[in-house]
Amino acid sequence: MPSLVEFLQSIVNGIGLGLIYGLVGIGFCVIYNASGIVNFAQGVFVMLGGMVCQVLLAELGLPIWLAIMVTIPLVALSGMVMEFAIVRPMMHRGATLFAIILATLAAQIMIERITLITFGDRPRTFSEFTSGGPFKIGGVAIGYQLFWILGCGALLVFLLWLFFTRTRVGRALRACSQNSEAAQLLGVPVSQMMLVAFALSAALGAIAGILVTPTQYTAYNVGTPFGVNGFIAAIIGGFGRAGGALAGGLLLGVLQALAIVALGAGFKNVAALSALLVVLLLFPNGLFAGFGSAARSQ
Amino acid sequence: MTSHAITSTEPTSVGWRSALPIAAVAVVAAYGLMSSDYVVTVLGFAFIYAIFCTGLNFFMGYTGQASFGQSAFAAIGGYGSAILCTDYGWEPLLALIATMAISGVVAAVVGYPTLRLRGHYLAMATFALGLIAYEITIEWTSLTQGYMGYAGIPPLGLGGFELATLKQQFIAIVVMALIGVGVASRLRQSRFGRALASIAGSELAARALGVDIARYKLVAFVIAALYASAAGSLFAHFVGFISPEIYGTSMVIQSFAMLYLGGIGTTWGPMLGAVIVSVLPEALRGLKEMQDIAYTAILIFILIFAPRGLAGLTVLFRRARRPALGKA
Repeated sequence: MPSLVEFLQSIVNGIGLGLIYGLVGIGFCVIYNASGIVNFAQGVFVMLGGMVCQVLLAELGLPIWLAIMVTIPLVALSGMVMEFAIVRPMMHRGATLFAIILATLAAQIMIERITLITFGDRPRTFSEFTSGGPFKIGGVAIGYQLFWILGCGALLVFLLWLFFTRTRVGRALRACSQNSEAAQLLGVPVSQMMLVAFALSAALGAIAGILVTPTQYTAYNVGTPFGVNGFIAAIIGGFGRAGGALAGGLLLGVLQALAIVALGAGFKNVAALSALLVVLLLFPNGLFAGFGSAARSQ
Repeated sequence: MTSHAITSTEPTSVGWRSALPIAAVAVVAAYGLMSSDYVVTVLGFAFIYAIFCTGLNFFMGYTGQASFGQSAFAAIGGYGSAILCTDYGWEPLLALIATMAISGVVAAVVGYPTLRLRGHYLAMATFALGLIAYEITIEWTSLTQGYMGYAGIPPLGLGGFELATLKQQFIAIVVMALIGVGVASRLRQSRFGRALASIAGSELAARALGVDIARYKLVAFVIAALYASAAGSLFAHFVGFISPEIYGTSMVIQSFAMLYLGGIGTTWGPMLGAVIVSVLPEALRGLKEMQDIAYTAILIFILIFAPRGLAGLTVLFRRARRPALGKA
């Protein structure tokens, strides 16, 4: 039977991981809102973020801040390439929804395999941003990296909010999501907005990957769980709502942490996937759909 | 929602039109039988995948739905056969049929709520089913032996008569694949098949015509699961060893590559795609670790430039000869 300390500890861990899921979930929403498609390759950006950053740190010996500064634009670029080389030609040819989803899934596996061949299958990690810790409250240990995750997560959410409400590009993106034809008529370059959406979404994934890697490890195949959990977070939050995705991520992270305590580490993904199915079947508009946001989106 | 099915315009008569593909299969099979065991193995995989893809085609091509988790049913078939035959000493053929029944029941139970979903929700929900199955094959070690995999699975056979050599098993697989395609083509031309095509065309119109959409979708899903399960079982018997990786995400991607390359929604497309995609990497020797990259590259290329696949080319040809039909 898990003790109270174990229970609290797992909730703390779950919040950290949940915030990461939330960031990935927001990444899903950004692309979905701009284009109406779901990018199944979202998790690969998380993997690339951790991988590229680790390689820059360990093999080129860059300082952490510089490595981060280089990693984020690089991964954002990979997102733009994905949009330009795969999604855009398919949309132009009127490809079906399932075909586009499938193409993004194929892109994910392709990038994973390329990473595997280039960097090998050795799990990699790098040290926490600040050494020392963990911080102890009672018996509950809180690693310093968790503070980084919480701080950066909160900052990012604030910056995103500023971006979407205060900048021209952000507002144009929102216009595309509400009615892309009307936005086009008003002079919004819709196809460029798609590029922006993919870049932004990939950057969010990369930041999530960089933040989370010190607390676990990264390898060529860590993308799928992050992608799937991020998607589940977005679904719980009612697909397309960034705030909902964040809340959904936190909820999912805690749920998973509790599942680990109750069922063992092996079944954490089964628990998350089952949660997805339950939410999809019983609350297709997300758990928070009743709280006024549904009325607004009508 | 726009229709995303690629409904084929194949004629309804079987007749001589199926003679050519059957002859082609016979030639490929004969070539396999005259070659080394290695070639037989590669072609055997191709025809096992042909069965898997023919089932998937039912649900995706004919009915216009999507399942990213068919590997789950292949895993039920494969692991079911492995466990029943090695631990309980069942006859392989009986195990194959029993696991098909189990897969069918699981598909019905899981599909009943899941198939109400549409679009990317359906895609993700089915993808989750595949991932859950994959996790279970790894984690439930007392049943599946986890990463170790299951070894020593006996070859196909019935009542003391065992298909001992690789080539005998290969013939059985080809015959089963042909039966699978035959059944699919008969069903396609039945009232049931036309109802599926109407769902693919427009759910709204199908409902207006009195088609019980939920039921037909579910039946198509169950049929796809039966095919997947049989393919999973055949794989286990053919190779004699299975592990979680075999029924993982790359199986899903590989089968989609086959389906789209061959021509989704056509009768022979899945088998054509399965043979080409299986043989291609063998032709490009030395690409062992590049295999998945090659599959995904081919798949993306086809999805962008030729979403109807190779079998779609015959439709172009047919239309060119009959311009009176106008724009299809």
